[in-house]
Amino acid sequence: MPSSSPSQQPVPPPPKRDNFEKSKEPLIQVRDLKMSFGEKVILRGVDFEVYAGETLGIIGPSGCGKSTILKLLCGLLEPDSGTITVRSNDIGLVFQGSALLNSLSVRQNLELPLRSRKLSAEEKDKIIRNKLSLVGLEDYIDVFPTKLSGGQQKRTSFARAIVNDPRIILYDEPTTGLDPVMSTVVEDYMIELENKLHAASIVVTHQYSTWSRTADRIILLHGGIVVWQGNPDEAMTSNDEYMRQFAHATRQGPILT
Amino acid sequence: MVKQFNIGYELTGQVLILIWKTYGYILRGHIDWTETTRQAYMIGVKSFVVVSITALFTGFAMSLQISRELVLFGADTAIGGVVSLALVREIGPITAGVIVAGRVGSSVAAELTTMMISEQIDALKVMRIDPVEFLVVPRYVAAAFTIPILSVYAMAVGLIAGVIIAQAAANVPPNTFLDSVRQTILDRDFGVHFLKSFINATIIIMYSCAIGLHTRGGAEDVGIATTRTIVWTMTMIFIFNYLVTSLTYAPR
Repeated sequence: MPSSSPSQQPVPPPPKRDNFEKSKEPLIQVRDLKMSFGEKVILRGVDFEVYAGETLGIIGPSGCGKSTILKLLCGLLEPDSGTITVRSNDIGLVFQGSALLNSLSVRQNLELPLRSRKLSAEEKDKIIRNKLSLVGLEDYIDVFPTKLSGGQQKRTSFARAIVNDPRIILYDEPTTGLDPVMSTVVEDYMIELENKLHAASIVVTHQYSTWSRTADRIILLHGGIVVWQGNPDEAMTSNDEYMRQFAHATRQGPILT
Repeated sequence: MVKQFNIGYELTGQVLILIWKTYGYILRGHIDWTETTRQAYMIGVKSFVVVSITALFTGFAMSLQISRELVLFGADTAIGGVVSLALVREIGPITAGVIVAGRVGSSVAAELTTMMISEQIDALKVMRIDPVEFLVVPRYVAAAFTIPILSVYAMAVGLIAGVIIAQAAANVPPNTFLDSVRQTILDRDFGVHFLKSFINATIIIMYSCAIGLHTRGGAEDVGIATTRTIVWTMTMIFIFNYLVTSLTYAPR
């Protein structure tokens, strides 16, 4: 009798996304980006742009420089050469490990991005409760991060990243380490947030379900350069040797493990 | 040797930049008093018991040695003066400084290193919050208030221990002991005492924060950062203690 294991179950089809119209100017534009750590060259000349209302997926094997690109976009690292144009100061970054401050409650963590705005306590409370309700955590407002599960920490990190309604949202491995159900929940939040905020988003991941469900376009990095780009549907049927190996997770191909 | 020198040179630069930035925020009034109060509790109140015990037994031991020697020379009325000189000028600031360096310096370095490794510091930078203003300033202001208080407290406990031992071991009445203290100690000694403990507070917080904010890696590096902080802060406390003593008490 034919049966399939849970890992062989087909990934649920992506929810219907709102159509977006490309604005004239991209919110993020990267040209000939080069970066190295000591002797190790990470990026050898990367180009891409992201428009408002669009999600770009950056995929590639571990250590190919995906997270480095996010840190360069946020100004946490300085590139060796190349240009990065970010046409908004409102950037929210969801860290791989949540990066919540453990000495602060969920409320205090969400207050951090609001420090620069002159808001009354009531206004802050209203904004924080609103964002927490988006991620289903309004009952955890005074809980400390160490008392939250991994999925709850990740969702709190989402809420903190969007508390100022940023025009740019960056996700660093948002579903890594989460169970499949929680991954789907987090992906749904990402899609919902993009539809609500109409932000330019970049999701760095190597989880198939995450990039196939959330990204409008994807670029595949290997050896410090973009070796393939297209949309998720094209990725699965592509004859490109890099994309085919990565999308189908096979050992045969140019990507060395 | 050259590598050690370079590490020390780099760390000194990081500490000086941190002091510069911290005072920039303090002088502009950018002090989070709620967090500063919390840090004052962590640094000051939580060090209270350990400083009490250390100062008490240091006072006992020192007073016993001094009493024993001075009684031989028939100078038992000078016991209070000699004990208080040592306590006010050297032992009080050193005891409080070393104890707080061990308890607070290591904890601050471990906390900040863990925050670096878990990307919490990066998260602050992305939210356009300077870690110096958010993390270093409250710890420094709290330490600058509480460590001198702890130091004066250590001195007082040491004197009480001195009174007890002088009475028990040399049969010197408390009044005689305290008269000797009053005749020996100058107002300037208290000023130098405060100066030394303020410098100790600066050394403890600046070295622990500089090391914590410049460490990357994994769990092993938390331990390395902690040990490094203890070694550097203790060494600097003794060096600066001598420098202040030589500048204020050297024979002219």
